[in-house]
Amino acid sequence: MNDQKGSFVGDTVVMTKRSLITILRNPLIFIPNLAISMFFLFVYEAGLSGIANLPAFEGANYLAFILPVSIVSAAIGGAGGAGQALVKDLDNGFFSRILLTPTSRLAIVLGPIIAGMIQLVVQAALIIAVGFLLGLEVAGGTLGVFIVLLLTLGWGLAFAGYSVGIALRAKNAQSAQAGTFIFFPLIFLSTTFVPYELIEAQWLKVAATLNPVTYLFEAMRTILIDGFGEPWPIILGFIVIGGLCVITITFSAISAKRAVSTD
Amino acid sequence: MGGTIHVENVIKTFKGNVQAVKGVSFDIGDGEFFAFLGPNGAGKSTTVQMLTTLIKPTSGQLTVAGFDVRKDPEKVRLEIGVALQETGIDPDLKGIELLEFQARLFGFSKKSARIRAEELLELVGLTEDADRLSGKYSGGMRRRLDLAMTLVHQPKILFLDEPTTGLDPSNRQTIWKEIKRLNKEEGTTIFLTTQYLEEADQLADRISIINKGEIVATGTTNELKRTFGFDAIFLQFETEEQAQKAHYATNHLGRNVELVKNELTIFAENGTTLLVELIRLLGDQQLYPTTLNVQPPSLDDVFIQVTKEQEKEGVAYE
Repeated sequence: MNDQKGSFVGDTVVMTKRSLITILRNPLIFIPNLAISMFFLFVYEAGLSGIANLPAFEGANYLAFILPVSIVSAAIGGAGGAGQALVKDLDNGFFSRILLTPTSRLAIVLGPIIAGMIQLVVQAALIIAVGFLLGLEVAGGTLGVFIVLLLTLGWGLAFAGYSVGIALRAKNAQSAQAGTFIFFPLIFLSTTFVPYELIEAQWLKVAATLNPVTYLFEAMRTILIDGFGEPWPIILGFIVIGGLCVITITFSAISAKRAVSTD
Repeated sequence: MGGTIHVENVIKTFKGNVQAVKGVSFDIGDGEFFAFLGPNGAGKSTTVQMLTTLIKPTSGQLTVAGFDVRKDPEKVRLEIGVALQETGIDPDLKGIELLEFQARLFGFSKKSARIRAEELLELVGLTEDADRLSGKYSGGMRRRLDLAMTLVHQPKILFLDEPTTGLDPSNRQTIWKEIKRLNKEEGTTIFLTTQYLEEADQLADRISIINKGEIVATGTTNELKRTFGFDAIFLQFETEEQAQKAHYATNHLGRNVELVKNELTIFAENGTTLLVELIRLLGDQQLYPTTLNVQPPSLDDVFIQVTKEQEKEGVAYE
């Protein structure tokens, strides 16, 4: 038993390394998603930056306002990949092969999740770097960038929990892929393009209030535009994302248990 | 305990009340080569999956290498190597990477994993393809790599679920040779499932025939042939008329006699001793066959016979 416990970290490292190799050998896993996220940044900045002159923006830079949309969309790609990687393993029989080793069952699920997290942090950092090239100024400074990445990681973990849970339940690539379409309502039924006060439709206001991503946007924008002077939206962001993580990780853990011990 | 397997009254019922395995019992000794022979859907793979900790039995006792499969699945996994019907290969990894990965998960250090991987590639003849992506391998190469992966930790018991299905004869020979070597030279216990009678006949010390979730016969190949098989005496005559006459004269011989045009086949438990009587009867009638030969029973006959009787009587033999 001691051997098993001692090797848990080792198992997780081996599983993660293997997932990272798989990701790197299939650039099509991350390039389209990264391209779309960059596209969001360029197109919305180019097309919509004029509205930052409206009084509701209080003089904020539109680039800083739209950057979180791009980051969140990139994170969804990295996190969704974890679920798709597991589906691929289930499809080609590799999952059974791993189950037949004495590897910790937790490490089997953690490997692709951690690899997905590494992927999304790298993507988010790239997007922020491009933001700087476009003239981004971060009120929260270096610490601010770090906290934004931390929020991204939290959000990615929550979405990975969801995508892994769906993948292990559906056990086929199509369903797992379909599951990621929740991406659209999450990103767009929110304060995506304009602040809450400027949303006209009542239904969209309701949707934005219910959508956890709204709180993530608010937290990131506060850091990027106002810094740490007003901490409440940042704290609220962490609370919402933390709660979401608890829900989706529990969901994926239950699904994993089912997939691992078929009755 | 070594590489023993003990299975007692194992039942597996899937969702929707499908009973895949209906009370199976058997024992396999250390170092034995045992084959589970049966058609598609007989319950072979389900039994393998239960023995290898992949699925849980509905009821019954399974002990592998001395460990209870339900209580100590981790200990069982350390003692067994499993090649499932579908190979378990990540196409994005190279041959050598897959073997190293597998070795690492079995607790090998980085260095010893590399050494073991190279040994195994040599063993299955994939050294030259070590640095190619396994996704680019042919079906036969993938099978060989899959077998190598099951051997990483030198398991005491090897489970092979239809290891040669879909392989060409040359790849099949390679796999057979390696399995035989493991059993004879390293004393590895082998549990093989197959649909091919020839495979079971060639490789196994002992065979259980399984059909519709039940074991219908168990024994060495010779025992099974003696109990369930029949010799076939094959006669050919110049004309159909002669064959008909011969049929009339020999009708009472053996188990049964079949007439097709100018050909006559007599099925009997001991064909050779029956020959003297047969020749005398034909001589009396002035009937002289143009061809005569006796064929010993094949495992095919046994298989057909046993499954037929199971259907007819609903009785299980042991």
